Amino acid sequence: MTPKEKERLIRRIWIVITYVVLLTFALVYLMPFIRSLVASFMTWAQASRYPPEWIPNPFTLENYQKLFRLELFPRWIRNTALYAGLIVAGNVMFTSMAGYAFARLKFPGRDVIFSALLSLLMIPMFVTLVPNYIIIYKLGLIDNIFGLALLGITNVSSIFLMRQYFMSLSNEIFEAARLDGCGPIKAFFYIALPLAKPALGAVAVYQFLGSWNAFIGPLIFLRSPENFTLPVGLSFAFQRAMWTEYTPIIAGSLVASAPTIILFLVLNKYLIRGIVVTGGKG
Amino acid sequence: MARVLLKNVTKKFGNVIAVNKLNLEIKDGEFMVLLGPSGCGKSTTLRMIAGLETPTEGEIWIGEQLVNEIDPTKRNTAMVFQSYALYPHMTVFGNIEFPLKMARVPKQERIKKVKEVAEFLGISELLNRKPSELSGGQQQRVALARALVREPEVFLLDEPLSNLDAKIRTQMRFELKKLLSYELKITTIYVTHDQVEAMTMADRIAVMNRGVLQQVGTPDEIFYKPSNTFVATFVGSPPMNLIEGEILKKDNKVIFDAGEFSLELPEDVGIEGKAVLGFRPQHVQIAKEEKAGFVRGKILGIEKLGVESYGHVTYGNLEIVIQLPEEVGSNITEVYWKPKEDRIYIFDSKTKKLVYG
Ligand SMILES: Nc1ncnc2c1ncn2[C@@H]1O[C@H](COP(=O)(O)OP(=O)(O)OP(=O)(O)O)[C@@H](O)[C@H]1O
Ligand SMILES: [Mg+2]
Repeated sequence: MTPKEKERLIRRIWIVITYVVLLTFALVYLMPFIRSLVASFMTWAQASRYPPEWIPNPFTLENYQKLFRLELFPRWIRNTALYAGLIVAGNVMFTSMAGYAFARLKFPGRDVIFSALLSLLMIPMFVTLVPNYIIIYKLGLIDNIFGLALLGITNVSSIFLMRQYFMSLSNEIFEAARLDGCGPIKAFFYIALPLAKPALGAVAVYQFLGSWNAFIGPLIFLRSPENFTLPVGLSFAFQRAMWTEYTPIIAGSLVASAPTIILFLVLNKYLIRGIVVTGGKG
Repeated sequence: MARVLLKNVTKKFGNVIAVNKLNLEIKDGEFMVLLGPSGCGKSTTLRMIAGLETPTEGEIWIGEQLVNEIDPTKRNTAMVFQSYALYPHMTVFGNIEFPLKMARVPKQERIKKVKEVAEFLGISELLNRKPSELSGGQQQRVALARALVREPEVFLLDEPLSNLDAKIRTQMRFELKKLLSYELKITTIYVTHDQVEAMTMADRIAVMNRGVLQQVGTPDEIFYKPSNTFVATFVGSPPMNLIEGEILKKDNKVIFDAGEFSLELPEDVGIEGKAVLGFRPQHVQIAKEEKAGFVRGKILGIEKLGVESYGHVTYGNLEIVIQLPEEVGSNITEVYWKPKEDRIYIFDSKTKKLVYG
């Protein structure tokens, strides 16, 4: 064997090892998901058998049918979509403005305010839960999707992401715009916003994933079953022991996570870019 | 069209004095080049005129108006940036149209004007492209078009050619000058650190160093009457030779004593004592054999630049560059030289200001 061939062989072995390791971990992480997917097409009797079986026999759609027979299920989907829509719209609108102001405008106290905002990231959600509850209660918005959405309509990490993105844009473009007759507001709509599409995409995707799967917030701020979002609704159905078998719940969670999975597959380049944006120069 | 007047303009960034008490008038329709090394405050000066920076002290006048407090959007200056700063999300058409749109010019008129300017600059076929699909030279033209379309009174350019390759640069240099000075006759302030660009384009050049204006004058004045050693060495290539020494009067002759050698100076040099002697490599007489008044020099190396070649001659720590005649071969090791009498400069040894020449 020549040294060159040897080198090539070693490289090939390394690639094989890398793949084996990565595939093993991917399988470990994917296992619960695959198990759920398979089990959702099984009868409860088969799904609970030990040792576990991997091929649905008989293959059944009964679990999904039960789910959709549930009266409130479509309603929960609608509520979740409304909630996620409000959160995404609010974040895109407000955090782009705030990020722009922090990155591009000069005003007294800007950096102090920004540091104060950032320090909010260190405060756990549970600390502000009670005051938030009281505020929403006083506003008469308990048990109301809009009241719940009000709490998440802007978000410090989104503001941070937008700010970093705006800071990474070339200064000269904004100066050119200024000389072309753009005040700060026109520059926001004509220059900053169109250039910020990747960052806005990242904010939208993160916020959608977060709000679609949100559990604690909706659990606390929503009361009546017809106002529930999907995650709360499914657990509610589970707590009331509507079923003695788990397979419909598995089917329900799969249906609930479908949009987020699809979204992730379609938009993961934005998610990655979002990470690059925040990690990039600032 | 307007003149620009800077009165005692100073700009400080914290402790850094970027521009120090600058007084400069750019006449109506004049092509003024701000020339100086990196960090000397050229861009800062330009940005203060545009309104992107506010002077710490002093006044800036455009036309008959004091503009210190006037927003950049209302100054009617246009600027071309070194990076061109085109809007990447807009087409070429959108880019050129943008200033008109911001000025609320009606749509029909906007289209007409954009087409005119594009025609004028020869970029009509590019109107539907995005900036990322253009070459450097094309982007440059688009940036020019965007600046020209709103017919500014003052045109500001910050090293607009430095991102282009040498060949296009030479061509654009000529085109820009023709366009701005001869066709539009617009007041232009052009920043560069390239002395060749300055010499070939400027009506007048303002040389700056460390925030301080060194000299203002026509290219000829800057080249033949440099006011101090900085200007003398910054303009011209290779740079002017500067030799420190002493001027002595001996039997009705004026002698410059450089330690290692001495030279006879013209009789009208009225200065005595320590001084700096300057002469350009091109302004030297050469002899192959020993000759009265000539200085012997050992050639350390020869630089061949096509027709011209320059010899490096050393005396201790002092290195002198002299142009060698074309017929001198490259294997020559010794030369006798003497600066042309009417082309020597003498600078004060302390202030470095020109005192003779
Ligand atoms: N925004 C700023 N903050 C702090 N210092 C600055 C700022 N802008 C410029 N300076 C400083 O002011 C001085 C002049 O800078 P300027 O950009 O005007 O130089 P220049 O002549 O254009 O140089 P170059 O040829 O490198 O572009 C430099 O020392 C620079 O570091
Ligand atoms: Mg500069």
